[in-house]
Amino acid sequence: MRVHLVTMPWHPLDLPSLQLGLLNRIVREARPGDEVTEFHGSLRWAEFLLERSGGRLRPADCVEVGSDAIFHGLGDWVFSGALYDDPGWGLARLRDYASGRGVPVETAVAMRPYAAPFVDACATEVLAAEPDVVGFTTTFMQNVPSLALARELKRRRPGLTIVLGGSNCDGPMGHALHRNHPFVDHVVRGEAEHAFPALLHHLDARTGPADVPGLCWWDGPVSRANPETRRTVPPADIPSPDYDQWQAALDASPVQEHIHPKLVVEGARGCWWGEKHHCTFCGLNGSAMAFRAKPGERLWAEIDRLVRRHRILDVVTVDNIIDMAYFRDFLPRVAASGWDLRLHYEVKSNLTPAQLRLLGDSGTVHIQPGIESLGSRVLDLMDKGVTGARNVRTLRECENHALTCSWNLLYGFPGESADDYTPVIDQLPALVHLQPPSGAHRIQLERFSPHFTDPGLGFGKRRPAQMYQHVYDLPEDELGDLVYLFDTEDAGIAGPVEQRLTDAVAAWRAGHAHSRLLFEEAGAELLVHERRHGRPPGTHRFAGWRAAALRGLEDGRTVPALHRLLTADGHGMAVQELTDWVRQAFALGLLFRDGATYVSLPTWGEPVRLPEGGR
Amino acid sequence: MSGLPGAVPHRLTGRRVETAAPLDIGGTGRGTAEAVCFLRECQGRGLRVTWRATGTPGYDPGILHHLPPPAELPASLALLEAWRADHAHGILYHRRGPDFVTVLDRRERGTAVRLTLDHPRLVAAFLRLLEPTPVAALDPAEREALGLLTAERLVLATGGWAVTLPPRLRQWPVPCTAI
Repeated sequence: MRVHLVTMPWHPLDLPSLQLGLLNRIVREARPGDEVTEFHGSLRWAEFLLERSGGRLRPADCVEVGSDAIFHGLGDWVFSGALYDDPGWGLARLRDYASGRGVPVETAVAMRPYAAPFVDACATEVLAAEPDVVGFTTTFMQNVPSLALARELKRRRPGLTIVLGGSNCDGPMGHALHRNHPFVDHVVRGEAEHAFPALLHHLDARTGPADVPGLCWWDGPVSRANPETRRTVPPADIPSPDYDQWQAALDASPVQEHIHPKLVVEGARGCWWGEKHHCTFCGLNGSAMAFRAKPGERLWAEIDRLVRRHRILDVVTVDNIIDMAYFRDFLPRVAASGWDLRLHYEVKSNLTPAQLRLLGDSGTVHIQPGIESLGSRVLDLMDKGVTGARNVRTLRECENHALTCSWNLLYGFPGESADDYTPVIDQLPALVHLQPPSGAHRIQLERFSPHFTDPGLGFGKRRPAQMYQHVYDLPEDELGDLVYLFDTEDAGIAGPVEQRLTDAVAAWRAGHAHSRLLFEEAGAELLVHERRHGRPPGTHRFAGWRAAALRGLEDGRTVPALHRLLTADGHGMAVQELTDWVRQAFALGLLFRDGATYVSLPTWGEPVRLPEGGR
Repeated sequence: MSGLPGAVPHRLTGRRVETAAPLDIGGTGRGTAEAVCFLRECQGRGLRVTWRATGTPGYDPGILHHLPPPAELPASLALLEAWRADHAHGILYHRRGPDFVTVLDRRERGTAVRLTLDHPRLVAAFLRLLEPTPVAALDPAEREALGLLTAERLVLATGGWAVTLPPRLRQWPVPCTAI
């Protein structure tokens, strides 16, 4: 059989498709006689726009529409006109939606006229490979572009078998995609390692696929959805991706001059924290929370092979959380390579300074620690398993080890109150030298999250997010099964405290670039150089037990615990004397207070700080 | 020990470096190669360096604009201003892989040239010339590599001496995606 694998816009232009890289290997290993080809439609779309628009619509515009606008559905909307054979489809609703929210849509509107001719050109190119089966992978805003091409392929060649799979097909979403789009023959729901080869076997043998777990198929005019398996794919069955066809497509593409290509690897699936304490807002792991990791040695072997083959030193991991064993059996190998790798990893926020140092030494300089909040009660409400004090320590250590820390400040949790935020907001000006969040964002209701599955948690009223009205021409009950994001009534804080929070975060972002708070050891003295926005510059000098106290609070302690530490180290001072000093240091903004716990804020490291995006 | 090249006398305080004497960038020999090497290493370590320049470059001075501009450049105010305007952290650097070197070059405003050096002789010459080296000391194969590296503006070859220009990044900036 000829199997053609397709990734449509808006797959990120700088990354190979892990999904295609895996499926390619899976099919070739399970069915050596099959021919597997790939169509990198997202790359092709960027080329198409560059060429047809005379250079006006550039790869950066694809990022704006296809990645940055995920919560507004702009990327899907660009292709809705092609799916519904109406170039003006949904335009008025999009304009209505955008004007109410201040969302810029002109780039997406400028792209719309190119979508239909692009789908036409894609169909010609895909059919030229004479495939028996075309398999689409769909995540984020790849649904409508994939459906548009699938429909055109089926129109031109009805005998072709169209298969959809990917994160957007998990659970009820996959069944809704199938039953509402008769030109889609099959939808693979859940992991494809076993299901996709099993489906190909049935197609080859012309037998019914009723035994393929999770598969959607047509029984005459009826869309059938096989029960999904609860068994997850063991790491030993997850192959190492093959990016050779992506590399060939990139090498031949004018787009490569506009992008900085990176490799994508997968060490683990699922979430070891979520297995025990599912963060209430998170739906990222879909229906497969069970944590499974490749051994660190194997992950390193995969990276070693890919780096040598593609001569690329930037590596993005897709793991939703790093396997803690990797601090023993993966990161030391990366550090020992001596190569100048740059890795991106999602981690849990409660890492030790030694673990954060190892991340830096290994080139894992871009981390996403899931900080989410600096208030302990709010972190408790979301079952995050860390405290505000711990999160502030993590931010400070990122500065000490020159780690780039991506994080969001989330709010809007049921049960939170202004009292949970006020003490944190009051202290944000003292944190201005630490890396700010991307912004303060009200949480969204995501399918698969505890907030979604248990309406009793506070989001009882929900409906498919408004943006889907300009994406799909489907009734609301069908959208209710098909989509990932939902609108609800706001929970938690609102009004003045919400405004104060967003203003304080904006001030943090504005004041960060020129703010420093640096430790320096000068003989017996401990100096703290004050260079933070909004405070007079100067140097604080500490000696004796006061210097030891400031150091002792780097780990976060209560005053009694600090007193015990200092006393054990031979320092003599009364508890009241220490309490008074802590109060003074707090008033100077040298400490962060979380309940009874205090954390020192000065940093030892002073990374080179640059504006986002460079010049 | 600062870990910086000892050929240029300097003082290191925290993350600040100050050179003891003006650095000759005229390009007439060993001194310029050693000055470039020193400034390159400061850049790679993310240190802030204060230095004064002497000499008038007998080569395209834009080739040095990835290095921190001098506080003084008596030969030409225009040259100094152009350097200050063009300079930004990380506009030229190299990274090492298993058997290749990648270079990112943004010295030309509005462009980002990615180069991968994977020919063994080219990689070897690039790495050797991290140390200032007399051109006369190179064998024919190294001279051929020098020609290619010079044409790509990755090596400064002047006054009979050659030195590699892109620093190796010892510490990523924050955000690391800015370069």
